[in-house]
Amino acid sequence: MPNAIVWLHGDSLSSVDPALLALPEAPAIFVFDEPFLQQARLSFKRLFFLYESALEALEGRNGFVYRGEVVETIRTFCLTHAADEIHVTTSVAPRFNRYVQQLRRQFKVVVYQPQPLVHWRGAAPRRFSAFWRRVETEALRPTGSGPQAYTEQSS
Amino acid sequence: MMRLQTDQPTRAERAAYLAEALAGLYEGPVELAPTPGGRRAALRRLRDFDPRDYARTRNDVVRRGVSLLSPYLRHGILGLAEVRDFLVTRFAPGPGLAKFVNELAWRAFWQLVYAEKGEAVHQDLEPAKVSLRRERGVPADVEQAATGLVCLDTALRELYTDGYMHNHARMWVAAYLQHWRGIDWRDGAALFYRHLLDGDPASNSLSWQWIASTFSHKPYFFNRENVERFSGGAYCATCPLAREGCPFDASYEELAVRLFAE
Ligand SMILES: Cc1cc2nc3c(=O)[nH]c(=O)nc-3n(C[C@H](O)[C@H](O)[C@H](O)COP(=O)(O)OP(=O)(O)OC[C@H]3O[C@@H](n4cnc5c(N)ncnc54)[C@H](O)[C@@H]3O)c2cc1C
Repeated sequence: MPNAIVWLHGDSLSSVDPALLALPEAPAIFVFDEPFLQQARLSFKRLFFLYESALEALEGRNGFVYRGEVVETIRTFCLTHAADEIHVTTSVAPRFNRYVQQLRRQFKVVVYQPQPLVHWRGAAPRRFSAFWRRVETEALRPTGSGPQAYTEQSS
Repeated sequence: MMRLQTDQPTRAERAAYLAEALAGLYEGPVELAPTPGGRRAALRRLRDFDPRDYARTRNDVVRRGVSLLSPYLRHGILGLAEVRDFLVTRFAPGPGLAKFVNELAWRAFWQLVYAEKGEAVHQDLEPAKVSLRRERGVPADVEQAATGLVCLDTALRELYTDGYMHNHARMWVAAYLQHWRGIDWRDGAALFYRHLLDGDPASNSLSWQWIASTFSHKPYFFNRENVERFSGGAYCATCPLAREGCPFDASYEELAVRLFAE
């Protein structure tokens, strides 16, 4: 079994992140993206929300929060933990996809798909109305009963 | 790179620590939004939300029949499907629930467009259907929530202090900045993105484009009657410009001529 780490990012920052659940023992990392944040000039309250969410997601685990250049920080993290696999939940953000491509030059990257609201194949229609017409029935149909951890966590 | 501590006991200590640890990576004061991060808080909000009246009340900026789940959905702390599943298995079918799921689908749609277009969502996706002035930079009075218009200043203050703005108020502010003040939608979108806890590259930029008419058939704009109706008259009642000088006090036909006639 190869050594693996879990990478959490701003599009999947939950204690039930699919990659996190798949590898309960693996070290996990969240990185504040330094070059991105330097130019984005976000307000502090946004960063604090991410920090608080990351801390809770990593609670009770071998979890770490860093600031740095994302690919470089994850690379170093993998080397420190003698890991050659990175497990991460997908995102549609172009920046995420660039980082995955760069990491794939050196590591195996396993990408998890969260459950979608509806399944869609092909190009996006130009207007929401055309999208909704095709997905309405599926969108209103439940595929489960809601958050799995609901009863434990909502007390 | 630098490893951050993860063991401060209180929220205030966490905030003080993070302010130093992330120095240089944020702009503005070290202030917290009341919305807590994390899935436990997200699940509490989900449990407290009742969608049955949503269709009727969601557009009212003051009464707010909305869920306040957006920061959690945006950061994958809750999934669209699990929220739908939770509500659909607990509430009988009805217009409120259907409308709410329809709004969740807006997020799914914008994500689909983003997956396809990538960074292009931050530039015009279509030619504007009216002429837009497209001046650059957010005016100081808007940055300071001091336009003098109570409906907008209330919304802007909430954006700056709580990192949230009601959907209908987002539409008013975005339309005002673009169509009344002539500001390029990209600068308005950047302002929102810096402050919204739910700030999302796709939902934000594409909604601004929807109002601009660069990703819709026509521009969105509003009038005073709309503000009064969806705030129960609360803003106009205290607005110094209500009796004279309200820029929204006209019919849609008059405003269309005023705002878009070349
Ligand atoms: C100019 C402008 C900018 C916006 N920027 C963002 C943004 O950066 N991030 C963001 O999540 N939403 C954005 N929206 C959409 C919408 O305003 C917010 O999602 C909503 O106000 C969040 O509050 P809520 O969770 O109480 O919404 P509810 O009414 O309870 O809706 C439930 C969920 O459905 C989704 N949703 C609802 N309406 C929309 C919509 N029109 N487009 C996309 N998703 C929607 C959200 O995830 C929301 O949490 C923007 C809208 C406008 C007009």
